Amino acid sequence: MTNSLLFGISIFVYFFSMVLYVSYLAFRSETLGKVATFTLLAGVIIETAAISLRWYESYQMGIGRAPLTNLYESLVFFAWTIAIVYLLMERKFGIKTTGAFVTPFPFIIMAYASMNPNEIQPLVPALQSNWLISHVVTCFVGYAAFAVSFGVSFLYLFKVKAENRPAKNPGGLLNYLPASDLLDEVGYKTIAIGFPLLTIGIITGAFWANVAWGTYWSWDPKETWSLIVWLIYAAYLHARITKGWRGKKAAALSIVGFSATIFCYLGVNLLLSGLHSYGG
Amino acid sequence: MAEDLKREKTRADFVDKIWGVFTSLKLVITLLLVLSVLSVIGTVIEQNKPLQEYYRFFRPETVDLFGRLGLLDMYHSWWFTACLALLALNIIACTMERYPFIMRGMKKQGAVLDEKLEAGLTNLAKIKYSLPAETVESRVTAIAGKNFPARPVVTEAENARHFFYEKGKYTRLAFFLTHLSVLVIFIGAIAGSLFGFKGYVNINEGELISSVQARQGENKGLNFSVKCNSFNVDFYPNGAPKDYRSDLSVIRDGKEVIRKTIRVNDPLSYEGITFYQSSYGMLPDTVTFEIRGKDDVPLGNVSAPFGKRVDIPGGDTRIEVADYRERFNLSDGSEAGPVVGVNLYSQGAPPSGIWISETRPEMNRYGAYSFEVKGVKLRKYTGLQVNKDPGVWVVWTGCIMLVAGIMMAFFMSHKKFWIRIGKDKKGRVEVTAGGMANKNKHAFASEVDRMVGSFKEVSS
Ligand code: HEM
Repeated sequence: MTNSLLFGISIFVYFFSMVLYVSYLAFRSETLGKVATFTLLAGVIIETAAISLRWYESYQMGIGRAPLTNLYESLVFFAWTIAIVYLLMERKFGIKTTGAFVTPFPFIIMAYASMNPNEIQPLVPALQSNWLISHVVTCFVGYAAFAVSFGVSFLYLFKVKAENRPAKNPGGLLNYLPASDLLDEVGYKTIAIGFPLLTIGIITGAFWANVAWGTYWSWDPKETWSLIVWLIYAAYLHARITKGWRGKKAAALSIVGFSATIFCYLGVNLLLSGLHSYGG
Repeated sequence: MAEDLKREKTRADFVDKIWGVFTSLKLVITLLLVLSVLSVIGTVIEQNKPLQEYYRFFRPETVDLFGRLGLLDMYHSWWFTACLALLALNIIACTMERYPFIMRGMKKQGAVLDEKLEAGLTNLAKIKYSLPAETVESRVTAIAGKNFPARPVVTEAENARHFFYEKGKYTRLAFFLTHLSVLVIFIGAIAGSLFGFKGYVNINEGELISSVQARQGENKGLNFSVKCNSFNVDFYPNGAPKDYRSDLSVIRDGKEVIRKTIRVNDPLSYEGITFYQSSYGMLPDTVTFEIRGKDDVPLGNVSAPFGKRVDIPGGDTRIEVADYRERFNLSDGSEAGPVVGVNLYSQGAPPSGIWISETRPEMNRYGAYSFEVKGVKLRKYTGLQVNKDPGVWVVWTGCIMLVAGIMMAFFMSHKKFWIRIGKDKKGRVEVTAGGMANKNKHAFASEVDRMVGSFKEVSS
C-alpha cells in the first residue's frame, strides 16, 4: 500500500518541522523560521497526497469510501487539520513562535496513528452514510481549532507570568513571544472557528443517528462527551464577554476544553468503552 | 406610610436582585460548567443498566445510594431536569434584558455625519480634492457602493451632502437566534417525549404485524399493518456485513399503500411512524429430528413445526421447537455451531428446555433420549426499531437557528459608514469618511482603510 509509505514520510517531515520551530524559538533566526514554515507546509502537502491516495486505493479495492472511518484514519485527518489550521493562523497573525507549542501535535498524533492497524476496511452498514463525512470533517476541524487554541493559551499563561514580573532579562525567550493580548485574541479566534464547527458536527451526528437508529440523542458516552466539550466552550465564550474572565481564566477554560476534547476523542474509546465491554 | 414605602422598596430590591442573578453571565457560566460536570458523572456511572451490572462494580449499599440519588438514571432525574429548566429561565431572562438594546441598535439613526458623530468614529479620514464636487461625489460613492450594496441615505445638511451606508443590520438579531434556538430544541425534545414513543418489532418473512412492542413494555397497536415481503443480507468477501435490506409493505384496509426496501440509514415512514432496520435473525419453521431411546433404540423421525408440541413415538414425552441460534458458544468458550432450542414435556415432570446441536450429534443425549437434527427449515425475520417523534422537526428547526445564529454572531457584524462631501474654508471640495461596526472591529477598520485609500486615488 503506497499510501502508508507517504504517511510514513509525512511523519518524518512533521518531526523536522517541529524541531525547526523549536530551534526557531531558541535561536530566533528568521531564516530558520521560514524553513520551519515551509517544512510544515511540505508535511501537509505530502499528507494530502497520502490521504488522496488512500481514498483512490479504496476505490481500486472495490470498497470506495472516504478515508475517515476508523481510528487510524481519523488520527491522520486530525493531524492534517491541526497543521492546516495552525498554518492559517500563523499567516493571519504572524505568531510563528507559537509553532513550537502547536507543531508537536501533528507529529505525536501521526506517530500514534502509525501504531494502529491501518488496513482499508469495508464499511459496516451503519457507517454507509453521507452524514458520516460531514459529521467527521466538521468535528475534526473543530477539534483541530481547539488544539491550536490550547497551544496558544498555554503560551499565554507563560507570557502573562513573564509580563507581570519586572524584566530581568530583556533579551530572554519569553520577551520574544507575541504580546499576551495577541495570544489571548488568537486563543479566542480559534475557538470562534472551532465552536460553530463542533456545533455542526454534533448536529450532523444527531441527524445521522436519527436516520440510522431513530433517536437523535441517546446519551451514550461519546455523545455526552461531545456535549461536555461543547458546554465548556460555550462557557468560555460567555466568560470572554465578562471582562474579568478574559485572560487567565479564559485560557484555563481553553485548556480544560481541549483536555475534554481529547478525552471525548480517545478516552471514551479507551477507558469508558473498556468498562463497558467488561461490564457487558 | 413610610413603612409601606420602605417595604415596597425592599421588595423591589429583592426582585431586582433575583432578576440580576438570572441575567448574570456568572450564572450562565456556572450552569454550563455544572451541566458538563454532571454529564461527566453520567458517563462514568453507566446509565440505565440492569441492577446486577452495578453490583459487579459497586457494593450493594453504594448501588442503593446511587439509585436513591437518581444517579442510575441521571438524565431523567429531577435535579438534572431542574438544571436544564434553570438554563431555560436564564435564557429567557437574558433575552428579555437585551431586547431593548438590540432593538435600539437596529434603529436607523445618525444619517448625518456631524461633529458629534465624527468624534466617535475610528478611522476618520479627511481628503481634499481639486475636482468639481459632482465628479468627486460620483466617483467616491461608486467606490463605497462596491462595499455596501444597499443604497445610501442621502441628506442635505450644514452645506454638505451626507451619505449613510449600512450593512448587516439584521445580524444584531443573531443573539435571539442563538439563544432562543436552545429553547426551541428543548421544546422539541419535550414534545417528542410526551407525544412520541419508541419500540421495536420482529416480522417474519412473508408475515405482517399490526402492533409493536413499546420500550415501556406495553403493546402498541398501529392503525395499519406492516408486511415483510423479504429480508436479505449481503456480506463482504471477508465476512463482514455489507447491507441489510427489508422489503416492507404498509397495508391499510387490505390495500398496500407503500412499498419500500429499507436499509440501515434509509428507514420507512408512514403517518409519522418510522421503521428502522435494526437487527435480523432466524427462526426454524419445521425441524426434523431422528430420535433414539434407551440403548440407542431407534424411535424414528419426528417433524416438529415451530411452537407445536409433537409426540415422541413410544413414550409419553412431547417435544416443542422454541428457538434457534446460528452460533452457540458452550460454557467452556468453544463453538457448538448452530443449535435448536427445544422444550421437552413429560408426564409428571416439569418441562425442560435444552439446546440440540445441529452439527455435533454426539452431544445431544438428554435423559432417555438422544437426538440428531436431520433437517431444519428456517425462516428469517427482520428486527425493526419503530419510532414516533412529532418533536423531531422542532428540534431540527432549533438546530438550524442555532447554527445560523452562531455563524452570524461570530462572522458577521452590523457595519455603518458615513461620507460627507462639503467644502473646506478655502472652498475646496472636502470628503470626510469614517465607519463603525459592532463586532470584528479590526476587520472592519481595514475595510474602511482600503476604501479611504481608493478615495485618495480619486484626486490624483
Ligand atoms: C446553552 C445555552 C447558550 C448558548 C449555546 C449560548 C451561545 C452563545 C453564543 C454562541 C454567543 C456568541 C458569542 C459572541 O458573540 O462572542 C453568545 C453570546 C452571548 N450570550 Fe449566550 N448562550 C447560551 C446561554 C446564555 C444565557 C443563559 C445568557 C444569559 C445571561 C447568555 C448571554 C449571552 C450574552 C450577553 C452574549 C453576548 C452577546 C453579544 O455581545 O452580542 N447566553 N451566547
